[in-house]
Amino acid sequence: MIIRILLLGGLAAIGWLVFLRRNRLPVHIVVVFLMLVAGAVAVIFPELTNDVAQFVGVGRGADLIMYVVVIVVMFVLLHYYTKFVELQRQLTGVVRELAILRAEVERVTPPIKVSSPDE
Amino acid sequence: MPVPKTRAYNACVAIPREDTWVVIAGLDEGAVIFDVVREVTREGWSVVLVDDGSRDDTAGKARAAGATVLRHAINLGQGAALQTGIDYAIRRGARNLVTFDADGQHAAADIPTLVDALDHADIALGSRFLGTVEGASRRRMLLLRAAIVLSNRLSGMRLTDAHCGFRAFRASAAPSLRITQDRMAHASELLRKIRANELRVVEVPVTIRYTDHSKAKGQSGFQAIRILFDYFFRAS
Repeated sequence: MIIRILLLGGLAAIGWLVFLRRNRLPVHIVVVFLMLVAGAVAVIFPELTNDVAQFVGVGRGADLIMYVVVIVVMFVLLHYYTKFVELQRQLTGVVRELAILRAEVERVTPPIKVSSPDE
Repeated sequence: MPVPKTRAYNACVAIPREDTWVVIAGLDEGAVIFDVVREVTREGWSVVLVDDGSRDDTAGKARAAGATVLRHAINLGQGAALQTGIDYAIRRGARNLVTFDADGQHAAADIPTLVDALDHADIALGSRFLGTVEGASRRRMLLLRAAIVLSNRLSGMRLTDAHCGFRAFRASAAPSLRITQDRMAHASELLRKIRANELRVVEVPVTIRYTDHSKAKGQSGFQAIRILFDYFFRAS
């Protein structure tokens, strides 16, 4: 089936990209590869996801995957939102230090008229 | 209003005006900033203007009017700019701090009233409803009244005004009033911190002058939604 080739190709591409960027923690890479392998298994043996779904009380395997993906996406969003807020807080600190530092430097060595900071 | 528990201890020795720092956060206020700053520096107060990434000559004009100018390399928001100015003023030995709007809606003539109120309090909040409001539309007044009800509900305090940017506090209270809300929710954050740290607060009548300029720069009702979002979801 063509869909299987497309899905496996996509998973392989992600794996290749992750493999190229090995500057992350080993944990991240292992987790991503485990997810890719799980994905590949689900593509090659779709009936297996049905069995798992039945076991946990969901009708179809595709539905189970859908639910899991929603939870994972929400988790990832929250994770990055937290990081974003933290980064913004740090940025505020840096910009503030810079502003105060510049004012202090100008106070010690008064600007020689050229240093008007207009663009 | 809490009754003052201790005797005033800075009333004995008058604090010289240059030790009271007026903190102004300005963004693209080049049209009016010279007059606004001049009105304050003329009275002998120290002024620090934090230029929050303006694209016009707000910084140059404020400097010409006698302010110490700090410049944020990128725009961070009013709350962040005020806190930068407060940090700087304290570094320069400020004893009292006053926050003042850059658009000309506050009157320098009210600063002594606010600062004198610190004899009996840690923080003095300007109230336009105890004082006078000039040039506000009926719609704006209604919006403000609604904001006060909501603000009192959120903060658990009973104030006659909400989110008035005109206030004074002692330098000793500054650490417990630290602003972490970079944008507009800092006013609500301040009330929360006053209450959490059990600071002594008084309200002081001030005059607010709405001009066409300040109205154009003022906030729309829609921004209130953003403020509420920041308040609830970015609280530190």
